[in-house]
Amino acid sequence: MHRLGGVGLAAFERQQQSQRSFAELSNELSQAHIDHLHAQLDHFRSALVRFATTHRDKIRKDPSFRHAFQRMCASIGVDPLAGPRKGGWWAEVLNLGDWQYELGVQIVDVCVSTRERNGGLIEMGDLVRLVGKLRAVEEGTITEEDVISSIKTLKPLGAGYEVLDVGGGRKMVRSVVKELDEDQSVVLAIAQDEGGKVSEELLVVRRGWAVERARAALENMLLRDGLCWLDEQDESGRPAYWVPSAMHWDE
Amino acid sequence: MSSSSTSLSSRTTSSGKRTRPSDVSLRYLLPSIHSAPPFFTQQPNPNTQATVSENWTKLILSYARHRRLFTLRVEDAEVPGGEWDEILRNTRINRRLLPSHLSHILADMVAKNRAVYEPAKQTRAALLLWRSPEEWAEVLHSWADSTGQLNTILTFPDIIEPPVPSPLSDIPMTLLRKAISVLAKTNRAQIISVADGEGVRFLAGNTSR
Repeated sequence: MHRLGGVGLAAFERQQQSQRSFAELSNELSQAHIDHLHAQLDHFRSALVRFATTHRDKIRKDPSFRHAFQRMCASIGVDPLAGPRKGGWWAEVLNLGDWQYELGVQIVDVCVSTRERNGGLIEMGDLVRLVGKLRAVEEGTITEEDVISSIKTLKPLGAGYEVLDVGGGRKMVRSVVKELDEDQSVVLAIAQDEGGKVSEELLVVRRGWAVERARAALENMLLRDGLCWLDEQDESGRPAYWVPSAMHWDE
Repeated sequence: MSSSSTSLSSRTTSSGKRTRPSDVSLRYLLPSIHSAPPFFTQQPNPNTQATVSENWTKLILSYARHRRLFTLRVEDAEVPGGEWDEILRNTRINRRLLPSHLSHILADMVAKNRAVYEPAKQTRAALLLWRSPEEWAEVLHSWADSTGQLNTILTFPDIIEPPVPSPLSDIPMTLLRKAISVLAKTNRAQIISVADGEGVRFLAGNTSR
């Protein structure tokens, strides 16, 4: 009788031995695997850093390139602004952290300085234009996306900066802690279509609102929130309301 | 809506009412807010009205300085054809500043020391302080200095209607008196009685003061 494993103590010993060898081998293999992954990660990381550093200027100056870069980072699950505490290597490599905060300060600047005439509500296009003016040309242009992501970084400050969608792909930035109800958003959207002007009739005709509802929404915006200005000399002979943030100003 | 394409823009006016040739070419650049229809309505919201008043004050004073106007009357908003039409009316958008609104703005300007009711004890006309009495005092003194008239006795007409036009030509008497009394306080001017009324003598004074 001949069995490979044999019987008895010796066989037991042998079996244990081979099991140990297998375990060792498996350890070795997974170690190699991990090492390999580490190496790959390092490689990837250094490649990304190299990419970021070589294209730093372009990332900071060219809005479409910056957008593409940010999208690429997002798709591979890296946030260029996140990273370790205190700036992080991303911020260091790209200087994008400072850039973003800097932009935030400029956004606040524009919002605050225009607040007295628009009641704390500014049209996105206007904001982008005014911020662009503030930055002069040297740093390159900025886009709506830059502004939106910068406003996100302002959120922890609790100042109430928020991007509002007023419908039809149009956005406004609100810089005061003030709740806009649904009716007011509708009024804003119509004002944007009309170059800033709204009236009770317009709301009744366009939206099928009851006169009382239109009046209440407009009066609230006028008297309570200071979001629009009254015009008593309108051609219609009835009061017209103007939303300064939807008017086209040039200064 | 006819106003759907409203765009507010600065524009120049073509006033031909200048008397001094050097100013004919200088058109007054109206701020873009002057093309905003609601700018001409008195706002029920006090915060909004504060913005409106402030912008009107700036506009009125800078226009007055540009055209050397010293007086604004509520009447100027009542009757067309005056020297203030250019800013009190915007015919392009068919809006005008109503007298009651102008009266409110004037009160605001007086409260902020940017105008004084003239004559006193009424509220229909005001003297515009596009320069404060202190600033006028400096202008007056440096004019006397640069034209070599320090220590000379000058009559009021000498200052108001000088042979060579000066920054002080046509300055209202009230304002001139205020400016002189500012200078008198620092010993840089003395009021002196002359044969046909009053005169003033400017002194070098202590400029290091």
